[in-house]
Amino acid sequence: MSEWEPKIVAFLCNWCSYGAADLAGVSRMQYPPNIRVILIPCTGRMSPKFALAALRNGADGVWVSG
Amino acid sequence: MSGYTEKMRDIAGRLLKECAVDMVIGFRKGTMPMMNEPCFVTKPEDVQSLVWDSNCGINLANYLANRKEKIAIFAKGCDSRNIVTHITENKIERDQLHIVGVPCTGMIDKRKITGMVAGEILEVSETENTIKVKTSDAETLLDKKDVLQQNCALCIHRNPVIHDEMVADPVQEQTDIDRYAEIHKIEEMETEDKWRFFDDLLSPCIRCYACRNACPLCYCPTCFVDESKPQWVGKGQDPIDVRTFHLLRAYHCAGRCTDCGACERACPVGINMRLLTRKLEKDCQEQFGWEAGLSPDQRPALDVYKANDPEAFIK
Amino acid sequence: MEYMGIERDRLHMSWVSSAEATKFIDVVTRVTEAVRALGPNQHFVKQKAKVA
Repeated sequence: MSEWEPKIVAFLCNWCSYGAADLAGVSRMQYPPNIRVILIPCTGRMSPKFALAALRNGADGVWVSG
Repeated sequence: MSGYTEKMRDIAGRLLKECAVDMVIGFRKGTMPMMNEPCFVTKPEDVQSLVWDSNCGINLANYLANRKEKIAIFAKGCDSRNIVTHITENKIERDQLHIVGVPCTGMIDKRKITGMVAGEILEVSETENTIKVKTSDAETLLDKKDVLQQNCALCIHRNPVIHDEMVADPVQEQTDIDRYAEIHKIEEMETEDKWRFFDDLLSPCIRCYACRNACPLCYCPTCFVDESKPQWVGKGQDPIDVRTFHLLRAYHCAGRCTDCGACERACPVGINMRLLTRKLEKDCQEQFGWEAGLSPDQRPALDVYKANDPEAFIK
Repeated sequence: MEYMGIERDRLHMSWVSSAEATKFIDVVTRVTEAVRALGPNQHFVKQKAKVA
């Protein structure tokens, strides 16, 4: 297997960071491909359960962004 | 403290005769020494079963959530703080309650005592500062302060914070106590050592959920460990599942835990899970200046927004 | 979590407005680097039951 790459689960708020990700995409900006995005309706939907579930299932990092 | 018993029976009898309350929650003698059990008295003639001594460690606030009737309850310092938490969280109305405050000098730890004497314990009696333990072949006199539950030895709220009447005059509060000495020690460890420390601490856990059931804060109709769609945490003794359970249980008590020690007392294998809840208690105090359950007029730290809330962890 | 021995840098929080694409990229890069520096998550993973 080639070199290890971190797997990061990103919980992004629909109105903030998800929009920013979208804008970064349409602007054709480059960023690391290590994040797996999960859309949440608002950062208030975030629960500690989610972060733990991500790690338990093998994620290397968790990123919550509002 | 055993001198309170008579006064309590009088109060309970009076309240029930006047029909001021439908039920009195207190303690009665258990079938084994050092195991008082909670008791619910509804008739004035039954008040004689009520007792009070240093084995009343169970948190009676646990029996209040969602009750509809008028209740009189005997409340130690920690119980009274949990009652306040119940009131702020709308689990019971203030005017449903007649709170009888009990100034408390600490509850004794039956595990410590069992470890200090040989043979089966037949009888335990107490005076103000001593505990007399009788086994089949000897009698031992112990200093009460040596056999206190750890949370009682570290207690800084011995007197009830809320009450309608008191059983006795307030006792002197303990000062000059470093509540968080152990927590500081763990915080200073390296990441790997922390991981191992908690592996050792939690390894005996059999997932019986006695800590959850004894806790007055755990009143959710469905606990996250019982949810199956999705299943957040496995039900076995897998070390990661055990750790997830304890981590999340502690988180759910953040800013609410009064360190009453019910969880540790209920644990059949003697895990000190208060090391987790106390860390969060300490963080709440340091970051928000918040102590749980001191007044029903204050909103909890995790319930309000202030412009000066710490936010250094946000990028 | 850090208190229990899970590395601090495994969990990140940030605040990015929907107009801040550059900040978004900046944060993604920083988060990735921080996690890369930690190496794989070995502790807090539920191992699949081994079937004989």
